[in-house]
Amino acid sequence: MAEWNTYSRQEDEDEEEMEGEQADGPHKVTGRDCLVFLVDASKEMFIKGGDGCPSNFDMTMHAVRNVYTNKIISSHRDLLALVFYGTEKSKNPRNSFKHVYVYHDLDEPGAKRVQDVDALRGDKGAQLAAETMGSGETSLSDALWCCANLYSDIKLRLSHKRLMIFTCRDAPHGGNGAKDRQARTKASDLKETGVVIDLMNLMKPGGFDISLFFCDIVSPPEDDSELGLQLDPCDKLEDLQKRVRAKEQKKRALARLCLCLSEGLSIAVGIYAAATTARKPGAIRLFRESNEPVRSKTRTFHTQTGSLLLPSEIKKAQVYGKKQIVMERDEVDAIKKFDDTGLCLIGFKPMEKLKLHHHIRPAVFLYPEEDEVKGSSCLFSALLKKCGERNVFALCRYISRRNYPPRFVALVPQREEIDEGKAQITPPGFNIIYLPYADDLRTLDPPLCPLASQVQVDKMKEIISKLRFKYRRDAFENPVIQQHYRNLEAMALDMMAPEDTEDLIMPKVDQIDHRLGLLVQEFKDLVYPANYNPESKPAAKRKTVESRGRAEKKAKVELPEDELMAMVKAGTLGKLTVPVLKEACKQFGVSTTETKKQELINALILRLAP
Amino acid sequence: MAKAKSALILCMDVGFSMSNSAPGEESHFESAKKVLQKFVQRQVFAESKDELALVLFGTDSTSNPLAQDGQYQNITVHRDLMIPDFELLEEIENQVHPESQQADWLDALVVCMDLIKKATNGKNYDRCNISLLTDLSTQTDSDHLDVIIKNLKKADTTLQFFLPFPAEEDREDGDGSGPGHSGLGKGLSTQQKNGLDMVKHIMLSLDEEDGLDEIYTLRNAVEQLCMFKRIERRPMAWPCQLTIGTSLSIRIVGFKAVTEEKLKKTWTTVDAQSHQKEDVRRETIYCLDDDNETEVQKDDTIQGFRYGSDIVPFSKVDQEQMKYKHDGKCFAVLGFTKKNMIERHYFMGNQSIKIFAAKDDQHAGVAFSSLVHALDELDMVAIVRYAYDRRSNPQVGAAFPCIKQHYECLVYVQLPFMEDLRHLTFPSLDNKKFTPSDTQLSAVDSLIDSMMLVEEDENGEQRDIFKVHHIPNPAFQRHFQCLHHRAVSPGTPLPPIEPWLKAVLDMPEIINERCQAPLAELKKVFPLTVVENKKKPKTAAQIFGKDSEQPDAKKANEDDEEQEFNLADISEGSVTSVGSVDPTRDFCTLIKSKALPFGEVCQQLIHRIEQFLGNKNTQYYMKSITCIQAFREQSVKLENADLYNSYLQSLKGSIPNRGLEVFWDLLVQDAVSLISKDEVGGSSVSKDEASQFLLAEEKKEEEAAASTAQDTEDVDDLLDMM
Repeated sequence: MAEWNTYSRQEDEDEEEMEGEQADGPHKVTGRDCLVFLVDASKEMFIKGGDGCPSNFDMTMHAVRNVYTNKIISSHRDLLALVFYGTEKSKNPRNSFKHVYVYHDLDEPGAKRVQDVDALRGDKGAQLAAETMGSGETSLSDALWCCANLYSDIKLRLSHKRLMIFTCRDAPHGGNGAKDRQARTKASDLKETGVVIDLMNLMKPGGFDISLFFCDIVSPPEDDSELGLQLDPCDKLEDLQKRVRAKEQKKRALARLCLCLSEGLSIAVGIYAAATTARKPGAIRLFRESNEPVRSKTRTFHTQTGSLLLPSEIKKAQVYGKKQIVMERDEVDAIKKFDDTGLCLIGFKPMEKLKLHHHIRPAVFLYPEEDEVKGSSCLFSALLKKCGERNVFALCRYISRRNYPPRFVALVPQREEIDEGKAQITPPGFNIIYLPYADDLRTLDPPLCPLASQVQVDKMKEIISKLRFKYRRDAFENPVIQQHYRNLEAMALDMMAPEDTEDLIMPKVDQIDHRLGLLVQEFKDLVYPANYNPESKPAAKRKTVESRGRAEKKAKVELPEDELMAMVKAGTLGKLTVPVLKEACKQFGVSTTETKKQELINALILRLAP
Repeated sequence: MAKAKSALILCMDVGFSMSNSAPGEESHFESAKKVLQKFVQRQVFAESKDELALVLFGTDSTSNPLAQDGQYQNITVHRDLMIPDFELLEEIENQVHPESQQADWLDALVVCMDLIKKATNGKNYDRCNISLLTDLSTQTDSDHLDVIIKNLKKADTTLQFFLPFPAEEDREDGDGSGPGHSGLGKGLSTQQKNGLDMVKHIMLSLDEEDGLDEIYTLRNAVEQLCMFKRIERRPMAWPCQLTIGTSLSIRIVGFKAVTEEKLKKTWTTVDAQSHQKEDVRRETIYCLDDDNETEVQKDDTIQGFRYGSDIVPFSKVDQEQMKYKHDGKCFAVLGFTKKNMIERHYFMGNQSIKIFAAKDDQHAGVAFSSLVHALDELDMVAIVRYAYDRRSNPQVGAAFPCIKQHYECLVYVQLPFMEDLRHLTFPSLDNKKFTPSDTQLSAVDSLIDSMMLVEEDENGEQRDIFKVHHIPNPAFQRHFQCLHHRAVSPGTPLPPIEPWLKAVLDMPEIINERCQAPLAELKKVFPLTVVENKKKPKTAAQIFGKDSEQPDAKKANEDDEEQEFNLADISEGSVTSVGSVDPTRDFCTLIKSKALPFGEVCQQLIHRIEQFLGNKNTQYYMKSITCIQAFREQSVKLENADLYNSYLQSLKGSIPNRGLEVFWDLLVQDAVSLISKDEVGGSSVSKDEASQFLLAEEKKEEEAAASTAQDTEDVDDLLDMM
């Protein structure tokens, strides 16, 4: 039985994939990512900054909470842990370490945990922390050892392991050489098991000197450059969050394939998604009595004999010109196959040939894979540099997956950009822009409109200047998703009502009106006549006619049989509306649950065609 | 509202002269028929609502409404105006033949016009067209030419001519005048010359300027028609108001301008034997995640969502009530920003929308125009909240000004939400290890030079030689090619990708030639070595060569059988005996794997066949026959005919006793006979015997019936039944 199920489910997935042949296909999940926050709980962390600035501890908790809620939305299967060191009290699995407090062990984040972290925020949070954990001696070695145990206690397959240390003390052991040495040993043990250690150094009076101690603790940056180590300490929550977020998300290649310049000249590249549409997750079915999730199984069987159908006993069909055309299942796949996966260079074009409105899919990002073909990075880098200099893009034919038809893409060069804090803002590489085929462009019939005079244009310019702002791509939250999670949060935590969400993509009309003041009226006086009201719809009158028309149509959905037969014969059923077709189906005893027009037509034709 | 559709009449000359041809060349009739077929195919697959009629002239018989008193003879209205289908294609294939009469093409034109006139009575076509395919070799009566032209004009009917020769010498496109191609003047009869003059006269009277453009040669038409029609959708207007604050609004209308088009039809699943989709049902069941996989009724399940590690039961009703709600349709400005703040690679969604001022509203037009120009002059864009309607989720997006010669608009594209973003960081490439040398950089430079797809011609105008947005989606072209192939020649393997399509997807030949030298240089200065990666051998294999582990679809085509067995192995695990679900497959798998001795496997198969025959049901008969066919095939393959022959002979013997005559008839129909010496050397059956084996039975039966018929009347009925 098992084979049947797996088979049919697989087919489902295939079909879905084909439906939305998105560039952001499902990630290949090979194991769980896990992230441990190791937070300094010494007294220094709780010192508030000047001007009512939050303490380092408060800032850290804020950042941690954000990661928790983001993970719930973006990748709830990742494991998170929160551990404090330099505490008075101790709490860890075997209670073998002093001054280490495991607040959350490695697990998927949930509503309860978010609440726990919330409790540690603000003045009340500092108080709670003092009560439950207190501040005491520091042994980073013990803390790291304890964290190592957290990783090894997990029985699941782990893929990416990361540890973030939050502290404002550059010499945690106060110059105790032995303790420093122990900590270094433990850190290198951890790194050997594949854990990446990051330092989130926080502001302290006199500056944070990494070279004192932490340079030996943290993992070397990926690219062997000096970059990363010399990061200035964070003194702003925003910076800290940015830095945490940059580290917290593991970049996963959507695909690794070759960029082929010509026969025998191919480099290895990875495809990454810098932006994918986040959606509300799908619902899970639960058993009513126990609220436990149920599994669904789909099977295909023969309607008459009731026997399960093998893949070989199923074929695929489409109807065209009243004829059913049947193909084998693997033929259906074979049709879509043009070539092997990969990018194939066609040529180069000046950047201005990339039309703004030729947009069909979000872009993806291309970066070389030196691990697979040595020399890839060098050639890639040369291409990137020259394309950038000459302001051209590379046109490629792209087959993203096996048995996918080709699309053409523009490889647009992107230079690396680094901010003042030496953090990377944009990575070096090519952005892949998907280009439309002839079928994807629609022919429009643009209405003829009068041109505005310069006076009118100038007035509008004044309006525009009043409403200028600096666009940031991360400034807008998706209200639909946020509301959904607030609702869930409220239900999970038995809250009376969900937290309010602010709809950030709602125009702030009061502010706009205030800023524009009289400009609006001045502009209107210039372009609109006195009695013109753009809000009133001249279509209103027509609407009533239309609605009456609709009512009439509804009244006579039934068609005489001979008329219908004639239409079947002439193949003009398409002229009828869906309700009429449904009625006709009923009339001729065609049982169908279809709602699509074409399906209804097919059903009728099958029944009525001679 | 009336749908835009056309009435098209195809009027083809099938007369005597059309079957003429130069030696080694296709007859005009064949060329014209091809044009006809290609054209109808395109219409069928485009599911166009255009109605089509077929009129043949030069036919032996006469069948048209105007035929009276010896007028309009030898003209047949083969099919009245209706939406074309495969039936029409089959009729063209099988019923349109060269015939031996000749008819006046002007008469045929009149019949067509009459057809349109009658059809347009009460129906609304927005275009009427008559296409004449003829060699003009008939005597024409030009007396009524002026009346005809007048009527064509009056009815607003357009004309197209498809001729075997070009209308003008210099009109022969490109290399059209190949060897043996009948050029103008050469080989044209007086009638044809007169005919051509008349055609020109008509066409120029209908359209003084471009009339002659509608005269095509058959040959060019075939070439142009091989591409399937691109998918066309009528743009849907989205009327709305662009608002800035509470008191400034402009009436606008939006249209989807670019979006990834999908095929309208999806595959349905049908039963392999009956080809009926009603025979296949899919069912989803739910079960608990316990050891027994206890099944749960759908009604006993509720909906829940994951919140991290928690699963929160959340009914549909609650969800509906608590979900984010908004006021519906809107296009509201949040503010304005510099255009360069919007990065192309952060465009989201899968479409771009063009926004225009509302139709027939001068004032909206002026207001809208001021906005577009102001944005353009300031090099800014509007950031807007866009919601299609109440049910759809609101978006944030950018509206770019776009000023063209004939129109002005805003181009709207969706921008990301915070939740959509992944912050990617990658190691810098300004690393000593990867920094390219000057030689390497100049090699890349000359590669770019040689591969520029946009060139300036002598007039200083840019010419793009590879316009992606002019290429038809190859997936659709291939899809229709295969569907068409399967529809007209079922039972044959799918054809390869058409050469023209392959060429369209490839680098232009001129570039290919030019870039060879720079590429060779590039190869020289950039050493590339494939890293043997033990960890991921599969990925490496996928990149650098065909992956032998995965079935290749192309290979599958060539070696169907092989493929099927592989699939079977994967989906079924190992086969240990011939089961009843798919005995044929089990049988073949077992023989292939040599898990059991041949005799043993055959015995198992025979056992199943006998079981099926016991059921006395047509479906089981069919299954038995496929078993026997497989039995035969494998026996031939393994050159061991004895087991099969002896079983078939004994089976034949037992037919009358077991009342399996119906089954035997089926077997005879399928011509499943004994294996002869010719096929397998070891067989004791001669070729004649094998062919007589089934036949003889019939004869014998007939004889038997004949002999018994004399005795009793009843047997007659029995025979009738058979």
